[in-house]
Amino acid sequence: MPIYEPLTSEKVAVVLDIGSAFTKFGFTSEFAPRNIIRSQVRCKNTNTIRRLYDFQSAEDLYDLLVEFIHTIFFKYALISPKDRPVVIVESLLCPTLFRESLAKVLFLQYEVSSILVLPSHLVCLASLAVDTALVVDVGYKEAVVIPVGFGLPIVQTWQALPLGGEAIHKNIQVLFNNTSTGAQNLSEEVLEDIKVRCCFVTKKSRADQLALPRSDLIPVPDIKYSHRGSQTLTVNGKIREKAFEILYEEDNDHFCLSTMILDAMLLVDRDLRNILAENLVLTGGTCMTPGFKARLKEELLKQLSNDRYRKLNVKQFKFHSMPCKENYASWLGGALYGATEFLGMKSVTKEFYLKEKHLPDWINLKDVESARFGSDVTSARA
Amino acid sequence: MSYITGPEYVRYACTCGLLKSLPNLYFCRHCSQLRCGFCVCPEVDSIFCGKCSENIPSAEAKVKKNKCANCLICPSCQQDLSTRIASKGVVNPDDSKSPAKKTYYLSCYFCGWNSRDVGIPDQTSPTGGWPERENVHSNRLQELLDSYKQIMLSQKQQKENDKKKKFGKFVSYTDRTGITASALRKRIGIPDIPHAMLRKPKLPESSTATTEVEELPDKFFTQEIDLLEVTTIEQRLLQPESQPVTVDKLFPAHKQLSIKKSLRCRHCERNVSKPEYNPNSIKFKIQLFAYYHIPEVRLVKVGDLKRGQPCEIIIKFTNPTQHQTTITILNLDLAEQERYVEEQQMMDISENLEVLSLQFKQPTSLPSLPGSQPSSLLSLPPRQPHLTIKSRKIKQTVNSTVEIPQSVFILPPRDDAAEYDDSNDTHNIEDDSNLVIWRKSNKVCIKLLVNIHEGETIGEEVFCGFTMDHVYTNIIAANFENKQPQKLNHKVRIFLNLGKM
Repeated sequence: MPIYEPLTSEKVAVVLDIGSAFTKFGFTSEFAPRNIIRSQVRCKNTNTIRRLYDFQSAEDLYDLLVEFIHTIFFKYALISPKDRPVVIVESLLCPTLFRESLAKVLFLQYEVSSILVLPSHLVCLASLAVDTALVVDVGYKEAVVIPVGFGLPIVQTWQALPLGGEAIHKNIQVLFNNTSTGAQNLSEEVLEDIKVRCCFVTKKSRADQLALPRSDLIPVPDIKYSHRGSQTLTVNGKIREKAFEILYEEDNDHFCLSTMILDAMLLVDRDLRNILAENLVLTGGTCMTPGFKARLKEELLKQLSNDRYRKLNVKQFKFHSMPCKENYASWLGGALYGATEFLGMKSVTKEFYLKEKHLPDWINLKDVESARFGSDVTSARA
Repeated sequence: MSYITGPEYVRYACTCGLLKSLPNLYFCRHCSQLRCGFCVCPEVDSIFCGKCSENIPSAEAKVKKNKCANCLICPSCQQDLSTRIASKGVVNPDDSKSPAKKTYYLSCYFCGWNSRDVGIPDQTSPTGGWPERENVHSNRLQELLDSYKQIMLSQKQQKENDKKKKFGKFVSYTDRTGITASALRKRIGIPDIPHAMLRKPKLPESSTATTEVEELPDKFFTQEIDLLEVTTIEQRLLQPESQPVTVDKLFPAHKQLSIKKSLRCRHCERNVSKPEYNPNSIKFKIQLFAYYHIPEVRLVKVGDLKRGQPCEIIIKFTNPTQHQTTITILNLDLAEQERYVEEQQMMDISENLEVLSLQFKQPTSLPSLPGSQPSSLLSLPPRQPHLTIKSRKIKQTVNSTVEIPQSVFILPPRDDAAEYDDSNDTHNIEDDSNLVIWRKSNKVCIKLLVNIHEGETIGEEVFCGFTMDHVYTNIIAANFENKQPQKLNHKVRIFLNLGKM
């Protein structure tokens, strides 16, 4: 058998992490994705650019994915997808329709040999070599917190809020509307560009003062943002500082990014709480904003004094720093997993798919009963 | 040629149920069926660099990470970079005839970025040696990957061992007596060496978390930011490893390679389109485009679209083939297409049952003795047929009916010389003058009456459709077996958008 190993491993697998804003694509046993591209395709009928997640029906999603996977393979990967394994990194909370459509496209339209589906919250720990951590994924659509204990995601304690890039873009637009600079209905791209290039997460002390109606704070310098060639837009200091505040402002249910993390801790076993607090892992593109980590730590410490979290008995928080950029941390985990024998052992083969007509999922009781996958997929680390 | 870019007024229904304009369709001569981009199987044919037009073998492309080794693109605007020469005095200042010393740097003609901006030293040769950036974490990650590989390998071996133990035909004597190999070793006095497979692989060192986090530098609150210095998200993502935040850290990137793709029919696994290998050539080796095989339909004139009275439309048919064909206009039978789709689905289920039974049969066909060598023929996986794309029901609905003409008409073969020949325009073909109103070489204009359905409101787009039955002459069989070209009737559903009522 070992004689044939080189032959089989020659077929490197494509690793795909399809996010709601950006898709990370690359090959196994490489340490950075080849490309990070927007998860969108040009719709041939209407000749407009459409995001993958803006699908209207199952068939519509199928068509979008056919087009998207086509660009991945024939524009970037430059290999025929037929009879090749594919590694998919996805959130545990990925909609069933989406993952089923993706499997259908890959197996039926592109005839891949097998698919290995990996939960993003678990695999992003592979590059850290830790097996217990609280993983906070702040992406475009939502922020999802799932604790991982000894190599198993504790799914029942998941926390998710629609706090991510999209919420921040909307917030920036609202802030612009309030300043009445005439910048209304800015396109998503412009808002994103302003967010990336001008905005940052400010310190807690400043944020508290900003929230007051009148304060003697020295404002952050304004930025002249040239826009549509000739127009200039003034991004004033307040907008720059307040853009990310939406992540920390408690909503009507008193939920925000920091409470999500603490709520997840409340739900786990009390022996695990301190270990989780000392192993915080941040992933997702939004976490790359300057000052994000420092502010989150400040917020967490502040929330601890709150009554509802007193019983946590947590004193300090420790953060891991990734050996990669946060926006492709989960992808990197998928590339590491896919490079090992794990790919051959646990992937869903075409034969299995044609027989069962669906991908095994943790939420599907039938799969849990058959116990062929489900817990197996998650108990990856030895 | 406006129909290539303009709105699609005439659309053909592909076998898979999608509506496409004629130039977007393929025609598989072997199955005699229409195919479209959705229901063929694309494959990578050859890989080349779009800038230097050089073919790159797939193995080399894989090593080079699908990037051209020589061509670089601008990290700022993603256009091609060009090499520029800068002379730096002479090689030997004492000798007046010595050639000028040349150095090279990269520059973008589009946005003005150049390699000197970011401090890349000028090179002495035009092709290169441009510094590459390494992933700073690669050592640590390689270490992790190696140990993960070992862990999984030992797990796999363990599993295989367990399997062997379970199905072992011969009972080990030592197992019964309770004397294992390692116990025996101890008794004899040889040091106990654990089995190589049982050795635990070394776990990688885990990273440690710290309470200290990167504080936001104070310069954010005081310093004015020049937006030209900060990179955009596209510029950052062009270099996924480093994702530089400021422009002075942008490094030139290698150009992404492109491919030529060939298309294969999923039914008969034959190519419907195959490009020539040479990247400079835009020709094809195989091109079974429907445009060369199926009569083309164009709308010439549409009368007044009014409800309650028949509307006259004039459409032109063009025969692109070298063979005469006869065209019959038939009813657009959408119900039949639906039946066909359902039939296909039934067939699909029965096919899957076959796949299942194959899987069940296989283990029994293998020799049951684990010791004996399985024959190489049996152990080879059966060649998997292409999965076919399921046909869909045609979504387009029609809100008007075409009055089906009683007679048929003939389309003469295409003759390139006929254009210059004015004498012979009659063709001696007897036409039904109610149907055919104009005829020249391989083109025919016919008149059709369209009745708009009751209950349609003004301003709505009117769609009508019919089935075109044409005689297709298949010359493939003739080439193979020296027989007469095979003639068969091929039906295509055609949908016309007549505009607003």
